[in-house]
Amino acid sequence: MGLKKSSEIAGLRRIEAREYPRDFEGLVKQLADPDPSVRRWAARDLAGHAQAAACLCERLAEEPEASVRAMLFTSVAQLGGSAVVDGMLPLLRSEDAALRNGAIEVLASLPDAVAPRIDALLQDQDGDVRIFTVNLLGNLPHAKVPQWLGAVLRTEREPNVIGAAIEVLAEVGGREVQEDLRTARRRFNDDPFIVFAADLALERIEPE
Amino acid sequence: MNTRSVAAQPVITEGDFQKFTEFFYRKTGIHFDEGKRYFVDKRLIERMAATHSETFRSYFVALRFEADGRELQQLVNAMTVNETYFFREAYQFDCLVNHMLEEVAARKRPGSRIRIWSIPSSTGEEPYSIAIYLLERWARINDFEVEILSSDIDTNVIQAAQQGVYSARSVAQLPPSYLKKYFTQQGAGEWRISRELVESVEFSLVNLTEAKDTRRFRDIDVVFCRNLLIYFDDLSRRVAAEAMYDAMSPGGFICLGHSESMSRISSLFTMRRFPDALVHQKPLEAR
Repeated sequence: MGLKKSSEIAGLRRIEAREYPRDFEGLVKQLADPDPSVRRWAARDLAGHAQAAACLCERLAEEPEASVRAMLFTSVAQLGGSAVVDGMLPLLRSEDAALRNGAIEVLASLPDAVAPRIDALLQDQDGDVRIFTVNLLGNLPHAKVPQWLGAVLRTEREPNVIGAAIEVLAEVGGREVQEDLRTARRRFNDDPFIVFAADLALERIEPE
Repeated sequence: MNTRSVAAQPVITEGDFQKFTEFFYRKTGIHFDEGKRYFVDKRLIERMAATHSETFRSYFVALRFEADGRELQQLVNAMTVNETYFFREAYQFDCLVNHMLEEVAARKRPGSRIRIWSIPSSTGEEPYSIAIYLLERWARINDFEVEILSSDIDTNVIQAAQQGVYSARSVAQLPPSYLKKYFTQQGAGEWRISRELVESVEFSLVNLTEAKDTRRFRDIDVVFCRNLLIYFDDLSRRVAAEAMYDAMSPGGFICLGHSESMSRISSLFTMRRFPDALVHQKPLEAR
């Protein structure tokens, strides 16, 4: 028979003394190792160290290897908390779409920690950051999402941000945002896309 | 009778169905096409009744914004069939012996080790199906040392797997000649699998989201992880996918359930389309 039961010797790798120190300082150093597999394992193990949030987030901005980046994002999402939110927010300004999307995904997984930052993000000077915040809201499991998006419809000046908010509300909005949608439609009645999108969203939301 | 309850049967429109299936795919990787409309509608209406949601929209909004994911989990349970039996979704085993192992073998020297990991083991039907498939349908089985590892988070099901006693329903898909060769009938409608097969599988207790459990798994050439990740939340699913990636050899394959998709979970794997099945692969150049 060609089937062979694995044994202690020939089979699974035993957990044994490490080639590198696996303490916090050792792992942080390995985040900059030339070997991507060493960096990936360091990123994975740092998920077990609560104080690792800042250095994992910092590493994300310079890590070139996709598999290491993926592990960095997974580990920071596991750590969670406000330190991770602090580390993810600057990535929303990155020119690298993969980095931005990864940050949005992590932030969306931390609704309690990110919620206190949403108002400030929606007031950011950079319109792109406001759009990414609306994208984040589309994936954020938080009860205040319609309220935040409603405020965008009432106060935002940039049609692209309004359009993004309407798109999210077309999917998840309820009766509570109908009036805000009509307000946005009035405010941007010279923009055919906003008018079309608002009408579509209102049509999808059941009639009052 | 309460006439309101009779009149209150909610309606799931075509648009609702599309919106729901898109959302459900994003969250779980499970895709339902129009052919499953009746199945999906029925379960959605059941969950709407259980949560006292009068309209699809109110149910969907609550589902989208709940922070703890409990209702989504209820929905996953309702939408999935948690049943295991020998040779379930056998097209993937066909793919294993017809294509995946041929590629794996081409990268190895004769006599070297090929390692297959079946997780969750549940009560053993999947790892034993793999063993039987290899013995019966892979011509090169004697050219390599094949190890079958199988893990589960539940000690009770591992014990049951090692006892290896199955109902007639569980073995119903097996060809009679295999049943005769690898099983002994005991009592009414019960079949005991051969000790040789039990001995050929290495069972272990593993939580796929615990790094300390998964880190010792290395050099896996093929992973079967079917209909498990759908029960995980987004983060656990990612952690599990990363753990499997690290456990696999470059070029190794991973098989998910027929309606699951790895691309919704991780971009680390590439998709491979074989004649028998669509599977995911750790890139050959990965380390």
